[in-house]
Amino acid sequence: MVYKTKKKTLSFQDTIFNLQKYWSKKGCVILQPYDLEVGAGTFHPATTLRSLGPKPWKTAYVQPSRRPTDGRYGDNPNRLQHYYQFQVLIKPSPKEIKKMYLNSLSSIGINYEEHDIRFVEDDWESPTLGAAGLGWEVWCDGMEVTQFTYFQQMAGVECKPVSVEITYGLERLCMFIQNKKSVFDLIWNDEGITYKDIFHKSEKEFSAYNFEYANTDNLFKIFEMLEEETKLLVEKKISLPAYDQCLKCSHVFNILDARGVISVAQRAEYITRIRELTKSIGKVWIESQS
Amino acid sequence: MSELFVELFSEEIPAKLQINARNELKKNIKNFFIDNQIKFNENFNVYSTPNRLVFHVDKIPNEIKLNSEEIRGPNVNAPEKALEGFIRSNNTTLEKIFKKSTEKGEFYFFKKESRKIKVSELLEKNLSEILTKITWNKSMKWANYDLYWGRPLKSILAIFNKKPLNFVFNHINSSNKTFTDKSLEEGLKIFNDFNSYIKFFKQKGILIDQDLRKKIIQNKINEIINKKNLKIEQNERLIDEIVNIVEKPAVIICDFDKKFLNVPSEILITTMQSHQKYLPTFDKKNNLTNNFFVVADIKDTKGFVKLGNERVIEARLSDAEFFWEKNKTQNLVKQVDKLKNINYFKGLGSYFDKIQRMRKLSSLISDDFLISKDKIEIASSICKVDLMSDLVGEFPELQGIVGGHFAKFQGFDKEVCLAVSEQYLPNGMESKLPKKMYSVALSLSDKLDSLVGFFGINLKPTSSKDPYAIRRMAISLVRLIVENEIKIKLKDLIVYTCSAYRDQGYDFDTKKIQNELSDFIIERLKNYLKEKKIRQDIIESSTFLLGLDDLLKAYKKSLCLNKNIKKEIGFETIAVYKRSSNILNTEEKISIETLGFADPGLFKNDYEKKLYKKIDDIRKYFLSIGKDENYEESLKILSSIKNEVNDFFDNVIVNDEDIIIKKNRLELLNMLCKTFDNYFNFSKIET
Repeated sequence: MVYKTKKKTLSFQDTIFNLQKYWSKKGCVILQPYDLEVGAGTFHPATTLRSLGPKPWKTAYVQPSRRPTDGRYGDNPNRLQHYYQFQVLIKPSPKEIKKMYLNSLSSIGINYEEHDIRFVEDDWESPTLGAAGLGWEVWCDGMEVTQFTYFQQMAGVECKPVSVEITYGLERLCMFIQNKKSVFDLIWNDEGITYKDIFHKSEKEFSAYNFEYANTDNLFKIFEMLEEETKLLVEKKISLPAYDQCLKCSHVFNILDARGVISVAQRAEYITRIRELTKSIGKVWIESQS
Repeated sequence: MSELFVELFSEEIPAKLQINARNELKKNIKNFFIDNQIKFNENFNVYSTPNRLVFHVDKIPNEIKLNSEEIRGPNVNAPEKALEGFIRSNNTTLEKIFKKSTEKGEFYFFKKESRKIKVSELLEKNLSEILTKITWNKSMKWANYDLYWGRPLKSILAIFNKKPLNFVFNHINSSNKTFTDKSLEEGLKIFNDFNSYIKFFKQKGILIDQDLRKKIIQNKINEIINKKNLKIEQNERLIDEIVNIVEKPAVIICDFDKKFLNVPSEILITTMQSHQKYLPTFDKKNNLTNNFFVVADIKDTKGFVKLGNERVIEARLSDAEFFWEKNKTQNLVKQVDKLKNINYFKGLGSYFDKIQRMRKLSSLISDDFLISKDKIEIASSICKVDLMSDLVGEFPELQGIVGGHFAKFQGFDKEVCLAVSEQYLPNGMESKLPKKMYSVALSLSDKLDSLVGFFGINLKPTSSKDPYAIRRMAISLVRLIVENEIKIKLKDLIVYTCSAYRDQGYDFDTKKIQNELSDFIIERLKNYLKEKKIRQDIIESSTFLLGLDDLLKAYKKSLCLNKNIKKEIGFETIAVYKRSSNILNTEEKISIETLGFADPGLFKNDYEKKLYKKIDDIRKYFLSIGKDENYEESLKILSSIKNEVNDFFDNVIVNDEDIIIKKNRLELLNMLCKTFDNYFNFSKIET
């Protein structure tokens, strides 16, 4: 395998290309990002739904992820309301997954023998997905660059077989590779286009939207409508469209949360409502898998 | 004599799970050898690295001799099937079965001849079960397998007497090989004994023995801090975690930009310790320095590790600094109103509601504490504002502390700042205890408000569930009172807190809350005393019919008796009491009831009179002592009645023919017991 790692710094897009090539060679289906707003690569149905049921599955994809509360108007060098994850999901988890992962680091120019690579306990839980897993965050010289998780439960259902999920935080990883202190200084391509050139304006504007201008009255209504629609689709037993509506619910909730209009008690209630939707969808999906 | 040596190789097991698994293994292995009556070196060791869980037991015989024994089978009257089963399970034939009478009837027996068993066979048969018996605090499954383990288990190396032990543990076959490269899980290598195994890894710089790792890390750190004139905080928990997340420890000293030292040190320390597992350093005056330790798991030959970690801390600290700069100037008083938007707890209003109640309560407490009402009211008003700051969002564990820093920056009174900072302390049994009265007052009112609130909406903890950590809250309340020796009327404070809730429109049943909370807090006091290693019977006596206002007294009295129970003053006090109360108890059974009022006019001799006089003296003593009772002195005085009591019992027959005389003597004894009740009810003390 030949990777573009020699001498010149690996750009953001080359990092993606290399990871895609690497995992493609490992037999993964290389998918494109899901076309809805999601909080993490895990929400892509290729992970949530496909990790359920008995059928083997291997995939890798980039997923733009939105966390409205993390927006900082483009002022903070480490925080974004929109960022990229590179997600790998393999079911059942292969025996040599650690080796595969460490070699994937080599493919993007990180020689694991020269760095302090650590698997630090980090058990993962997603209340809205009704999901839980055990695993680690992987540190490279103290910097968290990957989440490595064995799913134990998804949509409230015990995973059998167990999938392994590897989630690279692409910005963090590239800041490490390119030796940058600010995410906005990342080099996107060989022409020298930076992350700032592409995303600074959107960080600023979306922060304003998420924190100041999102019409919360409408969003509350939209949430109700989406929830109703999800339930209807679950009744019709079409899990994928139902899941789409549920993802939209989740994103609306995230914006409302960022706007600070959801109290602590309400928050728990909304999370429960989304989890119940996910669970009902998971059930329908599993029925279709056997 | 041989050695048993087993290595369980897995993906990285978290520190806490490793420690737990080591303890579990140690226990299970010990039990195995003891149950099977096999000699072994009881001082054997269990080791671990993140990837390797290893145990090594030596001085084990290769064979054990089992003495011949008669094994009892089914009763002779039992159905034939039972006998057949007995023959089968003992692997024998009908000819070798004989009948024998026992106390319980006639039974079939089989005589097992004495025989030798190979320990290796026993081990092969039992190791799988020994491993199954490990209870993991948290475990997982992977791939298609059904095994639960801390993290995916990859191989088992098992050696006895230099030969491999062959057994199957779930989907894994044991062997004499292990992966020498833990990263890629490659480099399979055969090992036949523990020594060569340890040696092999040592040559690669890998230390299997956690104690050795700890020593090496500590030595290296000490070497550097001595040279640089620095100190580190003795944080065993962090050190133990670090020791168990590396196999090849390399201590690296790093630094960050000194400008960050302007940020409150708690924020910097939390960032380093809990987020990055770094060890911060301090100068000789205990000020935080910009040097810190990283314990890496690799030799930093190219300097990448140091550089990387310094970059990480720089990013994290600039985040923290950014929030600190932004939050510290946000006026605390002006933000109080915004607390209306933050729910304290469903059914208990907003944080704004809470601080209104706390303000009333702390102001009442300030009268008892003789502290400034104005100051404690200010502290109550601003104490929860930091919950809205970015910093507490980032560092929830620093709530209160961060608020204290904001207050300090904004020029609030020193005692107010400290009170805000310490409002959540103590947090349970082990945590630090605030000593300054403003801090104590604020913490008390916070805890009382919460306790009354949760009992008010009926969210009391059950025997198994305590999701809101209400027990810890009450224990903390007990500690605040007894350890600071605070004299307050807790009962009144609870009533007052209820009324503060009622003023806000809560429909609380004051009487019910008061009763339930009172029992609950006294239960916590009992637990607390138990933790302090007070004898259970002393705890029971000191809390018998205890009023909520007397927590401190009960605490001190039980401490004092516990200390003196084997000494003369304690021993004699109890002996005298018991001797008297035993007679009363027997007489009560034949329904002679006494009130504790003896009539001196009915006394027949000097012994009665002397005892009466002595009791009277003791009563006068108890009447004369005010709030400052010296409990040891009280015990001494109680025990000093010993001679009068002994004389009385030696010379006076209580059971006089004249029922009036008899009753009067019983009254005298009851008077004695009641007088002793001034200390506490000794009836539950066991002798």
